[in-house]
Amino acid sequence: MFKHGRPREFLDPTVIARLAGLPLFARRPMQGNVSGKHTSPNRGASVEFAEYRKYVPGDDLRRLDWRAYGRSDRFYVKEFEADTNLRCCLVLDTSGSMGFGSTGLTKLDYARRIVAALSYLAIQQGDAVGLSCVAGGIVTNLPPRRNPSHLMSLFDTLEQTRAAGETQLVSVLHELAETIRQAALVIVISDFFVDPQLLRASFEHLRFRKHDVSLFQLLDPLELEFTIQRPTRFLDMEGGSAIFAEPNQIAERYQKALHDYLDRLKQVTVETGVDYHRIRIDESYEQVLMRFLVGRSRGKGVR
Amino acid sequence: MIFLQPLLLAALPLLALPIIIHLINQRRYQTLPWGAMMFLLAANRMSRGYARLRQWLILLFRAVVIAALIFAISRPLASGWVGSAVGGVADTTIVLLDRSPSMQQRSGGSNLSKLETGTAQLARSLAALGTPRYVLIESATNAARELESIDSLPTLSQAGPTEAAADVPAMLLTALDYIRANKVGRTDLWICSDLRENDWNPNDARWQSLREAFAALGPRVRFHLLAYPAQPGDGRAAKHSPTNHSIRVTGVRRQSAQSGAELRVSLQVMRTAAAESQQPLPIEFEIEGARSVLSVEWEGPVFELEEHSIPLPANLTRGHGRVSIPADANPADNDFYFVFDAPPPRHTVIVSDDPAAAEPLELAARIAPAADVTSTAERIDRTRLATIAWERVALLLWHGPLPRAEQAELVESFVASGGQVIFFPPLVAGPETAFGVRWQDWHESPEPLSVRSWRGDGDLLRNTLSGQSLSVGQLEIRGYSSLEGEATELATLENSAPLLVRAATPRGGAYFWTTTPHEKHSTLARDGVVLYVTLQRAAAAGAEALSSVAERTAGPLATPTGPDATLPPAEAWAQLAGPADALSSEYPVRAGVYAHDDRLWAVNRASSEDRGGVLSDERLATLFGGLPLQRVDDRAGNLQSLVQEVWRVFLMGMMAAMVIEAALCLPSRSQSGGSAA
Repeated sequence: MFKHGRPREFLDPTVIARLAGLPLFARRPMQGNVSGKHTSPNRGASVEFAEYRKYVPGDDLRRLDWRAYGRSDRFYVKEFEADTNLRCCLVLDTSGSMGFGSTGLTKLDYARRIVAALSYLAIQQGDAVGLSCVAGGIVTNLPPRRNPSHLMSLFDTLEQTRAAGETQLVSVLHELAETIRQAALVIVISDFFVDPQLLRASFEHLRFRKHDVSLFQLLDPLELEFTIQRPTRFLDMEGGSAIFAEPNQIAERYQKALHDYLDRLKQVTVETGVDYHRIRIDESYEQVLMRFLVGRSRGKGVR
Repeated sequence: MIFLQPLLLAALPLLALPIIIHLINQRRYQTLPWGAMMFLLAANRMSRGYARLRQWLILLFRAVVIAALIFAISRPLASGWVGSAVGGVADTTIVLLDRSPSMQQRSGGSNLSKLETGTAQLARSLAALGTPRYVLIESATNAARELESIDSLPTLSQAGPTEAAADVPAMLLTALDYIRANKVGRTDLWICSDLRENDWNPNDARWQSLREAFAALGPRVRFHLLAYPAQPGDGRAAKHSPTNHSIRVTGVRRQSAQSGAELRVSLQVMRTAAAESQQPLPIEFEIEGARSVLSVEWEGPVFELEEHSIPLPANLTRGHGRVSIPADANPADNDFYFVFDAPPPRHTVIVSDDPAAAEPLELAARIAPAADVTSTAERIDRTRLATIAWERVALLLWHGPLPRAEQAELVESFVASGGQVIFFPPLVAGPETAFGVRWQDWHESPEPLSVRSWRGDGDLLRNTLSGQSLSVGQLEIRGYSSLEGEATELATLENSAPLLVRAATPRGGAYFWTTTPHEKHSTLARDGVVLYVTLQRAAAAGAEALSSVAERTAGPLATPTGPDATLPPAEAWAQLAGPADALSSEYPVRAGVYAHDDRLWAVNRASSEDRGGVLSDERLATLFGGLPLQRVDDRAGNLQSLVQEVWRVFLMGMMAAMVIEAALCLPSRSQSGGSAA
């Protein structure tokens, strides 16, 4: 697997091995280009019967159901569900704020682990994986491919990613919604420090394009609890102006603003049918992915 | 507010300490790269109103804590008295103490008089203030006296009660002289008084010059007034003060009676209006140790007892006595001392060139008005004037040109020792002057002139005891002499010419009739009543001065020229009756009966003490117009010190501020890890 050499620090083989037993499913039909294990909106050659259809000239005669002809003297074509692969588009926020981490692990580090594991799993089950690193715009874009060697370049890209620049997540998501071909699995990994109302539009756009959207919101424990004691000069990691504050004085209002935001974001994701995962980055990412994958497999079968 | 350790106030800039700590705290901030700026911005936007105010309040209370601590260790004194006397302690403190009898008033529920309360308050307050030099000017002597320590003031005999009225302007003058003579620096003048009008003499002309003189001294002299204005009759003090009575003897006369002799005493009892229930008042008479009690009951504020008769042993011709009433609010006016003696003989000397005019004069002077009185008269030539035994003469009648040279000196010294002289005009005026008056031309009037007006309210022509006026109006004047000089007119003719005048003399009396008793000139001899009464009244007044007994109003011994000229120095006085604790040097200001050689005199409080009203606040403000005066009204028997250290208040304030600060610092809700800033 590591033909080209060095191990990646964000890739833990034991975790991968434990997760490999769980398939990565999409919650809605995907349009792949080869057969795979995902349901497709098209009819195909699987073993799962879909429907009878009247023969129309041009249909392959081999697919005529002669038994039905014998019973009804009409030509029917027997159709089966198509199983296809999916295109998994991983959108990784690499803006400055992703560089934050109070537990020794930045959000970006955490995001790398998720991206690496997901992409490995996806490619292993024959799905195509692409990666878009976004900050002020799309920084790096790897189109979805399904060959394992693609994984190498994906890992390389991950490794080179640095947290910098401001977040233009909303416009980037709109752009991706247009550029990714229809019905793909779009997984966005970010801290989503954007007004939820602005995100709503982009989520709806993605949904309109029949993408299955999943969100991983990475939050640092310090951001959530805000347990800073000393007067602090807060430097904006995305280049904005610094703020001087006495944390004790504003902690209460900070908490209020934070929870207000989280509630609104939750509301938006529920209303837009987005698969939303809020993650504290001191959690084990294996558990997070396990939850994610198990939740997916339960939702399989929806066409 | 005044501070005993004002230097410690220099530490007040430490108030800035919380602010400095706050700033330092802000300086040692940490810098933290932060991702979730949107929440910080939102939190900052919410940071308004109470949240921000709380921070300021916390800072404020921290500063208050430090301020209170500094004030507390500066040992502040609190009192309305020294309220705004910022700037430390004076170099000299002059205490002006009113020792007048009204200061002995007590209020209900207390055994302390105003004077005792005042001195105790002064001692406590001034001891707390701590001035290097104390000067006492008390009303009895009006002399500045340096005190070793102010603590001794309440026990000092010079601060005890007296019966002498105070003279506040004179005390202030003494203080002014002291300030000028000793060139003292910052001075505090503390006046302790009950603001009686008779002590303060608000109409006195000296106030004007005092104000100007003190104003010229500038702000280095500050006035503090410890006032005890409450009177028993006052509404505000009525419930505290019992009724007060004051007693005063208005006349004492010894006269013979069938059973030996009796003493006729006239007295007056005054009562403050506070009394509702009229209870009989026992008046105790004590004469040479023998006591008798008369119980009286009356309505209204004043009771007058006229000619109360007390039998005397026949052989007791002279002696002393006392009337007293039971103790009440003011013990100083419960006793009155008197002395009595057989009336001295009224010896008249007549110097006249005109026998026709001298005859009626001698006749009028010789007839005694009462059985007890001996009236004698002798007619001498003016050349034998030097041979007269002047110490026995009560009245000198002088008809003819005014005395000159040695004669004039003799007459003047006679008047100065209390004698009375009445001049009658010569027909031809000479150039001589006596007592500032000179005879002018003689006028004859064809029609008899009548008297237009005369003074019936006093002096020789005053109304009789029964209130009837003398028959001066019936006099007919045909010849009179005009006068030149300053004199008080007692009677005026219808053409505005004076008939009887009195020249101003410090003692004794010098009168001028402008007509003679000669029947050609007037009906003075024919309607002899007026002449007789004037001569006898003058003779009685002259005899009074010769008497070996005397009444005296309590007060410091005056200069030798005054009415006290004949009194010996205070140390020579022997006390026959009076307060046992009186110092011999203070006999002149203490009520009592005193003797020296064969003379006897009673000392009593001034009559003004019994009626004196209280100076109104506006009046007081006028008196001290433009001068820095601080006034504190106290009450007799007040045990609370006027000046006290109040550092405890500041300490408590400090603790309160700390508690409030802590409460403000508490996190409003239990947040995890939130702690006091």
